[in-house]
Amino acid sequence: MGESSEDIDQMFSTLLGEMDLLTQSLGVDTLPPPDPKPPRAEFNYSVGFKDLNESLNALEDQDLDALMADLVADISEAEQRTIQAQKESSQNQHHSASLQASNFSGAVPLDYGTNVAAIGISQYKEDLPPPPADPVLDLPLPPPPPDPVSQEEKEAQAKADKIKLALEKLKEAKVKKLVVKVHMNDNSTKSLMVDERQLARDVLDNLFEKTHCDCNVNWCLYEIYPELQIERFFEDHENVVEVLSDWTRDTENKVLFLEKEEKYAVFKNPQNFYLDNRGKKESKETSEKMNAKNKESLLEESFCGTSVIVPELEGALYLKEDGKKSWKRRYFLLRASGIYYVPKGKTKTSRDLACFIQFENVNIYYGTQHKMKYKAPTDYCFVLKHPQIQKESQYIKYLCCDDARTLNQWVMGIRIAKYGKTLYDNYQRAMAKAGLACRWTNLGTVNAAAPAQPAQLSTGPKTGTPQPNGQMPQAAHSVSAVLQEAQTHAETWKDKKSALGNHPQPGTPRAPQAPKSSLPPPPPMRRSSDTSGSPATTPKAKGTGGGGFLAPPIDFLPPPPPPPPPMDDLELPPPPPDFMEPPPDFVPPPPPSCAGPAGSELPPPPPPPPALAPDSARPPPAVAKRPPMPPKRHENPAPPGGAGGGEQDFMSDLMKALQKKRGNVS
Amino acid sequence: MAGMKTASGDYIDSSWELQVFVGEEDPEAESVTLRVTGESHIGGVLLKIVEKINRKQDWSDHAIWWEQKRQWLLQTHWTLDKYGILADARLFFGPQHRPVILRLPNRRALRLRASFSQPLFQAVAAICRLISIRHPEELSLLRAPEKKEKKKKDKEPEEEVYDLSKVVLAGGVAPALFRGMPAHFSDSAQTEACYHMLSRPQPPPDPLLLQRLPRPSSLSDKTQLHSRWLDSSRCLMQQGVKAGDVLWLRFKYYSFFDLDPKTDPVRLTQLYEQARWDLLLEEIDCTEEEMMVFAALQYHINKLSQSGEVGEPAGTDPGLDDLDAALSNLEVKLEGSAPTDVLDSLTTIPELKDHLRIFRPRKLTLKGYRQHWVVFKETTLSYYKNQDEAPGDPIQQLNLKGCEVVPDVNVSGQKFCIKLLVPSPEGMSEIYLRCQDEQQYAHWMAGCRLASKGRTMADSSYASEVQAILAFLSLQRTGGGGLGNHPQGPDASAEGLNPYGLVAPRFQRKFKAKQLTPRILEAHQNVAQLSLAEAQLRFIQAWQSLPDFGISYVMVRFKGSRKDEILGIANNRLIRIDLAVGDVVKTWRFSNMRQWNVNWDIRQVAIEFDEHINVAFSCVSASCRIVHEYIGGYIFLSTRERARGEELDEDLFLQLTGGHEAF
Repeated sequence: MGESSEDIDQMFSTLLGEMDLLTQSLGVDTLPPPDPKPPRAEFNYSVGFKDLNESLNALEDQDLDALMADLVADISEAEQRTIQAQKESSQNQHHSASLQASNFSGAVPLDYGTNVAAIGISQYKEDLPPPPADPVLDLPLPPPPPDPVSQEEKEAQAKADKIKLALEKLKEAKVKKLVVKVHMNDNSTKSLMVDERQLARDVLDNLFEKTHCDCNVNWCLYEIYPELQIERFFEDHENVVEVLSDWTRDTENKVLFLEKEEKYAVFKNPQNFYLDNRGKKESKETSEKMNAKNKESLLEESFCGTSVIVPELEGALYLKEDGKKSWKRRYFLLRASGIYYVPKGKTKTSRDLACFIQFENVNIYYGTQHKMKYKAPTDYCFVLKHPQIQKESQYIKYLCCDDARTLNQWVMGIRIAKYGKTLYDNYQRAMAKAGLACRWTNLGTVNAAAPAQPAQLSTGPKTGTPQPNGQMPQAAHSVSAVLQEAQTHAETWKDKKSALGNHPQPGTPRAPQAPKSSLPPPPPMRRSSDTSGSPATTPKAKGTGGGGFLAPPIDFLPPPPPPPPPMDDLELPPPPPDFMEPPPDFVPPPPPSCAGPAGSELPPPPPPPPALAPDSARPPPAVAKRPPMPPKRHENPAPPGGAGGGEQDFMSDLMKALQKKRGNVS
Repeated sequence: MAGMKTASGDYIDSSWELQVFVGEEDPEAESVTLRVTGESHIGGVLLKIVEKINRKQDWSDHAIWWEQKRQWLLQTHWTLDKYGILADARLFFGPQHRPVILRLPNRRALRLRASFSQPLFQAVAAICRLISIRHPEELSLLRAPEKKEKKKKDKEPEEEVYDLSKVVLAGGVAPALFRGMPAHFSDSAQTEACYHMLSRPQPPPDPLLLQRLPRPSSLSDKTQLHSRWLDSSRCLMQQGVKAGDVLWLRFKYYSFFDLDPKTDPVRLTQLYEQARWDLLLEEIDCTEEEMMVFAALQYHINKLSQSGEVGEPAGTDPGLDDLDAALSNLEVKLEGSAPTDVLDSLTTIPELKDHLRIFRPRKLTLKGYRQHWVVFKETTLSYYKNQDEAPGDPIQQLNLKGCEVVPDVNVSGQKFCIKLLVPSPEGMSEIYLRCQDEQQYAHWMAGCRLASKGRTMADSSYASEVQAILAFLSLQRTGGGGLGNHPQGPDASAEGLNPYGLVAPRFQRKFKAKQLTPRILEAHQNVAQLSLAEAQLRFIQAWQSLPDFGISYVMVRFKGSRKDEILGIANNRLIRIDLAVGDVVKTWRFSNMRQWNVNWDIRQVAIEFDEHINVAFSCVSASCRIVHEYIGGYIFLSTRERARGEELDEDLFLQLTGGHEAF
């Protein structure tokens, strides 16, 4: 067990070494060559492994797969770019990249595939006989331009390019990445790789892509603090990694993906927030009778002026006294600059208003069940605290409203005061997205990707319902203690079987769309997860955008397992030995890889789908070359299946965490 | 031809004598007598007058003013009969443009020639064109308040009056820019100074003056101002304004369209000044916290405008982080041979190491400041027992990202403390760093501030931050060092920071200067990087965010009510406010308004809203014209949003605000 987690480290270090090699190959000494010995530190330097490590705690097996997939995608992406810069070797490199990607994508056992891919890169990089040109993959790459410029100019240009690239890489290397487990509203989870540049909006877009929900504006990322019983939306412009990095290592906090009416309620019915409260008797009439045009003008007036108008909110709320259990009724008033109150009274006396809190350093949360937890007068509570505070503290402010309407008005009012116009911009972006999504569903376009994060799209299309992708089997397998999940799992396997027959059909007509994507790396990535994972999802996704990517890999993937393109297979005899050899001197794949050998050696609970059987034909030789390994792998699936959380002691950090999670689940 | 007569000297046509005084309405003015008939055209009359005067002079601006009818005879093709002029008419042949002294929003006086014959709306537009303020429809003129008898007149210092009365503007198009100012300002040093007065914020007022100036103590006081607005549809002459009178120029409608720092320096500055005086004179209420922000912005704006740093400050682009800096560096050295040193500078982030005294307030501790070896690297502060232990584990390590940094400085007491409120999962931890001198303080403080924003000392703004802190400290030494409880004279505010000039008198009474200074200083750190225009814009935005912003108060009596109430007119709504308590009773939005009518006889305004809600009130504090014009003006301003452009639909404005029929 301990070994297996080391395996991961080892793999990471290999990956990193690879990235480093690429960097060096640029001729600019941008990074000190990482020492392969302490893999963690080294990773910390370049890809933020520390954070990975932290987030690994919260991971389950399938998450690792996703993580590996993303990592490899990054590398291949980097490689692709390198290739573009280095004209002389463009052809070779290009193919190595595509090979690498396709190797990876083809391998059914995902971890194993990743492993191989990682090695594959380094080897192909040395020197690889140029495989036959692949027309489809070539498209996205700019062909080496003819040179009308003089040699000198060309060199200067090349140099400048290199330096540019180097700096880009430097930036890239500094980018922190986090694996985030997002809970769906059906209790399933999805793991995403989120890099530090991504905003909540980008992550939502990713999730839309993966779940094929209706993309309406109510969807939000939602953070929950079980310990404090508070929760809130991520604002679309918030940096997800930044928010998550405030969480403690052992946090129970969760990120949810769900629909919340309240998120943009003010933009749907601005009158409820702006025209309420004054002239109390008429309020109901006016709020319900407002036509779209008036709403629009009200919004424009409130959000599009030189400064945003904060709804006028005032009234008595209950305030939980610092560190005490009692709640006192106080008069509160919302202004753009903060919340003010009368410290000693329930009614308004204009001039002794004192500042209660300003919004610069606090976030607003809904309190849930605070009636129970803190003896609040009602359950309509909201909480203001510094985002970094994670435990109970006197610095957290608790307020309690009389009813839900008041609560919503206050929370929205505070958000408007805190975020101002940004909120409206977010809404408009969300609206645009929702509108586009509708059209996309019809057209089946594929360019939905947020341009900056092609790699994150990797896990492949999923439907909104707990439709498993290729990784699900593993998850269900290792968490087999959860019976129910196993059942759904089994059902979905059936789905797959039945689905397989029509697999290629939906995809093929759309194949030409793949090259449309301006970013070369994503397609291989998609292929990787899609083919390796779930041919079964293809039919499900056929109506939607993501479906377009599914076909191409099957048609032209050069080396790897997917049976449809046997031609390519034949043309590329070298790769298999090439990437089969390394494993012996290389460390075995990480623990979650159980599904890999499972295809051939393990008797997994769910019957292996017939579709995958031909795929797994290739891996076995590799496994066979390492006789000592299989037994170890046998152990992997065993603990979750049998002993549950009982074996934490001998585990490495990572495995401890994994087991702990499992323990929690079961 | 009028004036035919017989040999005996009798007039044989129907001509009569018309006496016309030359010059402005002066009973002793010279007069000419013409012989005219009812069919004489005004143009002919003008010609005759000029002939009679027989003086070489440019008469083109002159026109005839009919005193009894209070009317200009501007239609030169009309006959006297058509105007209904008879021999008894008192006519004055005088200039249409006459000098007035404008009191600008920045409280400075400016003499210029305004049109006395055009409707005020056009006259204001011309004034605004002259002083280069776009969107003149937002401004208007008020009568100056009647001055109370001054007992010590001689003590009043003679005020400088800027003069633009000689400047003539070529009509029509907006003037071209020349040397960074509209061309007509660059004629002489005098006009140039005038432009600087218009486009640059004024220094803070003398706190003593501020305390002496009248401030509204109640809502009904706030209604006073609005009774003085002049009619937009009538000319100055008709409203009894005389040459040389003082008029106030103010932004009347609080709906500022398309405010652009680049093209609107004068407009932005004057708007800022109006906002500033609104706040200082407590025309609008704000909280303590808000006042500190306003004060900090004023201080910052004043500092920038004093230093002549009107343009964008260089090198303070917050987006330029260390990597970007390195990138530009690297590009410069693209052909250089040794890229390594660049990379060195890229990877080494400057750090601070020093002996500092640290104090951590805890419950039940009496420990004071203790000397520690403190290392500040990137955004992390670590401290050790002493320097020798530095390589080991620190006593504590704090990541300052997201923390609150509060200066605790007393220059005269040589106290330089930094209070840090560092958030952690468990709550906030408080820690005080005490520095030995200004230099040390400035460096550490700058580092802390950057770190709290997640930036390191490698950030390009670090050096300027250090300088800003040092500058601020020196200000406190010179100006604020001797701050007592009494406000200082105007000369003190020129060099040092006199906080009393920056806050409303309400806060002057509440706080001592030395309490105010650190609070303003604290607020200042958030705005220290803004350029002049940005800071002004920020000030205006903060002003606009105040709940009571943009409400003009008028005292009215609602139909069926027995007591006076306040009607607040804002750019989107009417508010009925209880006079005694100040509570909002009811709000009506213009968007729901169907129509409004004015009954000029009983001075009553009647408004109909959707769903047959009818409101009627008579105006008490101001004439109902003013209320009517406010409502119509806001409706007019809301129409221009759709048809973007500089062109003004004057007819629509006058239609909405005027009451032609009534006069």
